[in-house]
Amino acid sequence: MHAICLDAVSVDFDGRFQLSDINWVIEPGQHWLVTGTNGSGKSALVAALAGVGERVSGTWSGVPERVALVSYERQAELIEAERRKDDADILDVISEGTPVGEIIDAVCQDRDLANELVDTLGLRPLIDRAFRKLSTGETRKVMLIRALTSQPDLLVLDEPFDGLDCDSLAWLQDYLRVLATTVPMVIVLNRFDEIPEFITHVAYVADGHLRHRVERSDEPSMAALYQLLHLKTSDLEVPQADPADRLPALNPSDPLVRISDAAIRYDENTVFEHLDWTIETNQHWQLSGPNGSGKTGLLSLITGDHPQCYVNDIFVFGFQRGTGESIWQIKQYIGYVSTALQWEYRVGTGLRNVIISGFFDSIGLYSKSTDMQKAIADEWLALLGMSGRADEPFSGLSFGDRRLVLIARAMVKHPPLLILDEPCLGLDDMNRQLVLALIERICASNETAVLYVNHRSQDAIRGIDNHLTLSSEAAS
Amino acid sequence: MANYFNTLPLREQLAELGKCRFMHLDEFTEGVDALKGKKIVVIGCGAQGLNQGLNLRDSGLDVSYTLRAEAIEQQRQSWKNATSNGFAVGTYEELLPTADVVLNLTPDKQHTPVVNAIMPLMKHGACLSYSHGFNIVEEGMQIRDDITVIMVAPKCPGSEVRAEYVRGFGVPTLIAVHEDNDPNGEGLALAKAYAVGTGGHKAGVLMSSFVAEVKSDLMGEQTILCGMLQTGSLLCFDKMIEEGIDAGYASKLIQYGWETTTEALKYGGVTNMMDRLSNPAKIRAFDLTEQMKDIMRPLYWKHQDDIMTGTFSSGMMEDWANDDAKLLGWRADTAETAFEKTPAGDVEISEQEYFDNGILMVAMVKAGVELAFETMTAAGIIADSAYYESLHETPLIANTVARKKLYEMNATISDTAEYGCYLYNHACVPLLGEFMKGISTDVIGKGLDLSDTGVDNARLIEVNAAIRSHPVEAIGGVLRGYMADMKQII
Repeated sequence: MHAICLDAVSVDFDGRFQLSDINWVIEPGQHWLVTGTNGSGKSALVAALAGVGERVSGTWSGVPERVALVSYERQAELIEAERRKDDADILDVISEGTPVGEIIDAVCQDRDLANELVDTLGLRPLIDRAFRKLSTGETRKVMLIRALTSQPDLLVLDEPFDGLDCDSLAWLQDYLRVLATTVPMVIVLNRFDEIPEFITHVAYVADGHLRHRVERSDEPSMAALYQLLHLKTSDLEVPQADPADRLPALNPSDPLVRISDAAIRYDENTVFEHLDWTIETNQHWQLSGPNGSGKTGLLSLITGDHPQCYVNDIFVFGFQRGTGESIWQIKQYIGYVSTALQWEYRVGTGLRNVIISGFFDSIGLYSKSTDMQKAIADEWLALLGMSGRADEPFSGLSFGDRRLVLIARAMVKHPPLLILDEPCLGLDDMNRQLVLALIERICASNETAVLYVNHRSQDAIRGIDNHLTLSSEAAS
Repeated sequence: MANYFNTLPLREQLAELGKCRFMHLDEFTEGVDALKGKKIVVIGCGAQGLNQGLNLRDSGLDVSYTLRAEAIEQQRQSWKNATSNGFAVGTYEELLPTADVVLNLTPDKQHTPVVNAIMPLMKHGACLSYSHGFNIVEEGMQIRDDITVIMVAPKCPGSEVRAEYVRGFGVPTLIAVHEDNDPNGEGLALAKAYAVGTGGHKAGVLMSSFVAEVKSDLMGEQTILCGMLQTGSLLCFDKMIEEGIDAGYASKLIQYGWETTTEALKYGGVTNMMDRLSNPAKIRAFDLTEQMKDIMRPLYWKHQDDIMTGTFSSGMMEDWANDDAKLLGWRADTAETAFEKTPAGDVEISEQEYFDNGILMVAMVKAGVELAFETMTAAGIIADSAYYESLHETPLIANTVARKKLYEMNATISDTAEYGCYLYNHACVPLLGEFMKGISTDVIGKGLDLSDTGVDNARLIEVNAAIRSHPVEAIGGVLRGYMADMKQII
């Protein structure tokens, strides 16, 4: 047995869907689990192994002759084929359709095994029934028997546990465990709690690309993959703000931010000058520009963290800066996430407290929190897939998880303005997608204006249509 | 000018020394209101001046800086600090006549000339704030009767005053009103608003007096806080080298040992620090402490006496007048000591090993804390003040030694503290000479050879009872309880 190698393979499925640039190596002895959201292409990917679709580019090798595929699509095709037989009624006789026994025999390589499986799965009484008249669960069992008795060199199972009754499910899991010692398998599952023991690797598919390949023994990556799937698929809503702690209302006719003829200067060095910028309520902005063009400086004029905010003409959240307002009156309207914040957030406290600190705009928690605030923080943890970890120390989290918790901290009060200063900086691909998935859910679900600083086109967020670009030379 | 403290009758001296109260958060509900709309002018733009000003401005207050005309003309660092942060800067003549509150954040030594220069320019009924009472209490500076005089002293370096504020917290802060200069009875309201403006109210405010602040602050910094750490560092290092311990190891054990062992002090007082030792080591440390306390007690008394009578400050002022000859000489001597010149070795020392192999250091901290506390309270300083100026601040100073040894400690503390530290060190090193001859590596460098960790029950009970019943432990338990209420819920 050789390794199966897909090298930059693209596959077209009747122009309806395309798998792009798939790089995948399945070594002998490996058993893969394929995950992804609905429509991501995970079923297409495994079907391609069974020869479905048209390969338009790339090379592959080592894919065995006999690949058995069990999937809803394959099941539907077979039923459709049966139905077409019915329609072909030129003989003017009513077709009974192909009986179950024949459907099984058509591909069977091991009659004894087929008989045994028919009995085990309770299909004996149905053996002469027309295949197309079976229930969905029964057809699924027939498909499984066909696959298992075909002596495949590779067994591809797309959601094999779906629709099976408890007894059949338990039997199938046992059976696959034994079979795994001799036959390599690729299985599509959407639920991590059903992963069979013998699975050695997990693949994650998104937008027709094979995004991640994770070894099962790599626990941190498995945990991140689980979270990604959770964020992409969970029904949980973004938690509400604290009803008992509403922000003072803003005048709806004012912009959130209005900066006029602003400059930042250090000694002789002018970072930028003559800058005008207005951010209206609900407007999403992307801010870009090369290093040193003053992006972070500009943001900190808004947040009040830059001391030169007092010598510029800045109107934020109803306050003209430098007229006796405190920075805490400004910060209450802003959620803020950056790599610098993550470096500064070196407080030995638990995840729940870190999220609650967002209500107080503090690094660390120095005020007593209410039961409501605790409950909201726990809802955020649930959304992040971190339920039950509320008291774990923040410092013990992975870099990517810390970023997620800080985004929740920024959003916990539903600020009118959410500033994300390169929120994906320093994150690996999986964690970047985790962060983007969370931000997209936030953008989609509430009334916050998002101000997003980002360099990389692949980290674009849907729904941001205003752009401000700072140039490297001063006086843009 | 006469020493102000010495002009007071005994009962007033005792009353002033006895002032120190931990204020509760609900005493600060008026926030910065008392300073709202007032023009605050800061003199000096060093670390304290700049960072306090940044905090006050971010709290919605009107802050500008006044510097001497030369500093402005020559665009010195203080001018750059203020202008690059967007503050208005002006000369004394330009800013002081309209100032409502003037914050004097210059070093002690400059107070007399600075205050003499600004007083004629200050408007009637304005407020002058200090961050240390030396000028008023020791130098006897007389402030014009119409001027309100207060003190607001954040108990941390300027950089931390800013960093904690930005995090949404603050640093513990001492406030006081100079009763002789509170013509409108508004001193306390102004001091409280100032403490809120710097974020100090969130971390805990102590209301004290100028006298108590000066007399306890001087005593603490000279003896346990800086003096004992310097003397201990030098003696322990030389002993280890003499006994053949690797120099890099010895250097590291001391440089980081103070910080590590006093961290235990911060959490649970002397009791907890001693509990980090094994039972035999604890009994050993206790015995060493008792011996050292007997040897050093007269020295602690002398320091306190000299502080109370003004002998210390007049001696230091003579050195000021002599271009800091003594201070600079002692500073140079310190830089030449073997401990300072030996870098910490590249060896792993676990947290527990600092205790196990540093029994003598633990004993020195215990002896210094207890002696300073006992001496201060015997001199009439209230236990609360004595606690803060001994046990509470020891870990803060120990952190500076961990950063860059004695150099860093002496650079971070005030010139006044540094002068007092050297004074103590010069007396204490020879004083402990005979005692150190009896010391070997089992209590510094290698730890006890503990094939048997058994101890006598009766002796252990006796030692534990003595540790736990010391008065510094009683007040410490109460004050740490307050702090825990206010501080992180973490």
